[in-house]
Amino acid sequence: MKTYLGELEELVLLTIAALGKEAYGVSIQQDLEARCNRSISIGALHSTITRLEEKGFLKSWLGGATQERGGRSKRFYEITQAGKKAVAEAKSVRDELWSLSSIKLSVK
Amino acid sequence: MNNPPKLARKILEWFAGAAFVEDLLGDLDELFFIHLKTKSTIVAKLLYWRGVLSLLFSYALKKRKEKATASPYSNTISLGLLQNYFKVAVRSLYQHKYFSILNAFGLAVGMSVSLLLLSLISYVQTYDDFHTNRENIYTIISERTEGVEQASWASAPHVLTDKLKENPGVKEVVQINSAFREEVKLPQGLIPLRGYYVEPNFLEVFTYEITQGNARLALSQPQHIIITESAARKIFNSTNVLGKVLELANGDLMEVGAVMKDHPINSHFSFELLVSFASLPPAQTSLSDQWMHFDFQYVYVLLRDRPTITEFQTYLDKISAENYKDLPVKVAFEAQHLNDIALGPDLRRAIGPKWEASGIIVFAIIAAMILLPACFNYTNISIARALKRAKEIGLRKTLGGVRHQIFFQFITETVVITFVAFLGALLLFYFTRSEFQKMLVASNALDLSLTVRMATYFLLFALGTGLIAGLFPALFFGRLNPIQALKNKAHKGASAMRVRKVLTVFQFVLSFGFILTLVVFSKQYRYSLNFNFGFTKENIVNVTLQGTQAQQVKNEFSKLASVQAMAMSSQVMGLGYNNTWIKDLAGDSTEVAQMFVDGNYIPLFGLTLLAGTNFPEETATTEKFIIVNEEFVKSDGVAVADAIGKTYRVEDQDLQVIGVVKNFHFAPLRYPIKKFFFRSNPAKFSYAHLKVNTADAYAMFTDFESQWKKLNPEQKLVASFFEDDLNEGYSNYVVLLKITGFLGLLALTISALGLLGMVVYTTETKVKEIGIRKVFGASVLNLNFQLSKEYLKLIVWAVGIGAPVTAYLIYLVLPRIQYYSTTVSVWDVVISTTILLGLGMLTVWSQTNRAALSNPADTLRSE
Repeated sequence: MKTYLGELEELVLLTIAALGKEAYGVSIQQDLEARCNRSISIGALHSTITRLEEKGFLKSWLGGATQERGGRSKRFYEITQAGKKAVAEAKSVRDELWSLSSIKLSVK
Repeated sequence: MNNPPKLARKILEWFAGAAFVEDLLGDLDELFFIHLKTKSTIVAKLLYWRGVLSLLFSYALKKRKEKATASPYSNTISLGLLQNYFKVAVRSLYQHKYFSILNAFGLAVGMSVSLLLLSLISYVQTYDDFHTNRENIYTIISERTEGVEQASWASAPHVLTDKLKENPGVKEVVQINSAFREEVKLPQGLIPLRGYYVEPNFLEVFTYEITQGNARLALSQPQHIIITESAARKIFNSTNVLGKVLELANGDLMEVGAVMKDHPINSHFSFELLVSFASLPPAQTSLSDQWMHFDFQYVYVLLRDRPTITEFQTYLDKISAENYKDLPVKVAFEAQHLNDIALGPDLRRAIGPKWEASGIIVFAIIAAMILLPACFNYTNISIARALKRAKEIGLRKTLGGVRHQIFFQFITETVVITFVAFLGALLLFYFTRSEFQKMLVASNALDLSLTVRMATYFLLFALGTGLIAGLFPALFFGRLNPIQALKNKAHKGASAMRVRKVLTVFQFVLSFGFILTLVVFSKQYRYSLNFNFGFTKENIVNVTLQGTQAQQVKNEFSKLASVQAMAMSSQVMGLGYNNTWIKDLAGDSTEVAQMFVDGNYIPLFGLTLLAGTNFPEETATTEKFIIVNEEFVKSDGVAVADAIGKTYRVEDQDLQVIGVVKNFHFAPLRYPIKKFFFRSNPAKFSYAHLKVNTADAYAMFTDFESQWKKLNPEQKLVASFFEDDLNEGYSNYVVLLKITGFLGLLALTISALGLLGMVVYTTETKVKEIGIRKVFGASVLNLNFQLSKEYLKLIVWAVGIGAPVTAYLIYLVLPRIQYYSTTVSVWDVVISTTILLGLGMLTVWSQTNRAALSNPADTLRSE
């Protein structure tokens, strides 16, 4: 394992990937809350994003001026190639473990 | 109402500083409006606050701030930037050499006085630092109240000692008596010695180096002393003096029991000898008297532990409450730490050298009055030149320089020039140091050579001065609007103009004050010298008897041809006096100044008898008569003629008034004429007054010497002209004149430099205007007037403010210095104004004249 990817980091990364072009602070937070039932403070979210940026899994750019938030611009995020590789690796580790385990996926 | 809380946003913005947080704020706002849909306003606001708080401590914001500091909008100043500021400052100062020199010179002059003050303070702070126990040593000082009179004394009664020893927090109590002032009999004459009576534990509490002998033993035996090496050399010409015996003038013998190294001069103790306490005659007075009178008594304590000091103080309060219950005098004791003695509050009867806080404060005010104008000059000249610098600043701002960067650039420039000035001030300090030291009372306990502590103070002071002088211009330049600056319209600042004018007027008020003070003080000095004291002072020589029989002196000296008449007295008139208490028949007692004279005294000094007669020619051995002065009669409310024959009880004798003498100044002019009488007790004579008539004073004094040798071969003749003695008494005015003269010179130099800077600048900017005026036919005189009328107005303002203020201050101060004093007249003000105007206009015209004479063809050619 090259870089460790925390559970929340993985969730945030996947959410950003899922949101596509509309991934910015509030949308990520709302999505996490709706989909994963995770309530997370804006400070914690941005800290996680900052860490992911430092690891090179995310890139960001500033959007233009907006109407609904006091004219302030949004910072949009997008998953990088390295990010995609990191989540893929995490997934493959889990798949392997799943296949080896004796848990039967009989819930569905 | 439905807006996000402003305060929370401000806090976040403030905390973030230069970091980029726009997106974060946007997120917070958006969340706030989302919350508003489902929740109440208050909850939404609280959630917003929670969001802000989570961000404040978040890793995200921390990282953003770290990154931000590396951006050009950085809040911190990097070393590289400082280097650049320094380089720019040096270049700019070099480019404007003329102004830089003016500024540096002015600041150097201004700082020099402060350096003297700082050097004094830094040395005084080292006082008594050589005692190893210094942390726990305290002295007891007393607040003595007697009726309405209240005074703080450095001394404390020795009867306190036993009470203090009972306190468990006290390790040692040392009693010191400073009254040892004796003369040693030596073949070459009498040599005075000063010392303290101390107990054996003195050397356990205080740290001194004993070189020979057993110090403890010496201090526990009567008639034994410890001598310092310099005193040993003075008396025996050797330091190997153990066991030798000193013969004192009063007949006592003292054996040297130990020898010690001279104590360091930075000590609040000053002695040549330590005398064993056992040599001190035991107190003869009653116990209550011992609690009330303690002139030469000092008590020091060594505490076990410093924190016990508050308990100790309560203990002292208790002692004072118990022991002064039934006494007419109340004394409150206070423990004063060793470090606070030398530079502490004003106290009476300090044991040795002491620097009173009030004196230091006055000195500090004077230093500030010299320093601040110099700083103003810098401020003034810098702002005046704003127009020239405006383009540079405009450009810097356009290229991204922010306010605080410009601010720091100018502060750096000022600090650089202050350090240049500081070098000049150091030079001045070296030149004035010894003269300054001579003016101080306790100068022999002072060493103003450079130490690390002093150097640190100096550097901090130079930095501080730079910051003060540069603050206003730096703020001004930092706030400059780049567009206006580049358009050359930076000079709109009317407020800056007004500030400049106020500063200039203030400087001239100060200069005027010094000039007027100088004029009035020199007038006061002349006034005192030419004062009509009411007695003759010419052609009288005073001879100190030094214990020789008055009658013998009379016999020998009257043989000389140059001596016309001779009188005897107890003191020199007009220099000092002593008091006694008398009772009239009704039993009321009053304090009266007195003097003992013989029958020749009154005619010799040309005093006028208003009524009655002089003392009989041959004075009887028992006193019978007194001659009183006019004031004596007047305050008793009787007519002059009726006073004759009255008797008063003086020191257990009944004395009768036989004459009334016209008022004369028996005391220095500092004091008013009070009740006074002459007495005639030959035993008290210690001066002979010789009325002389000679053209050759030198030959006369040689004759005196040879006559004196016959009378008293052991001692040297001490004789001088009365007039010289009298004038000597007013020599403090010479010192005062020197000081005000020096300070006035500094103040005037600084104001003149400031003025020069301003004039140079304005004439420079008005070169074209002058040229055009000249082409249209203005004369040189006309132009000179045009250019200088602005400054003339300022100086007139300064005189208008300075004259009444200074005159009032002098009016308050003069009578305190001297009761019979001169007043400020219109003439003094006119003279001072002329000097100030003359110097000011000379400065202005030296520049305007040059501009007015310039050829308009040269100045108008370019452009």
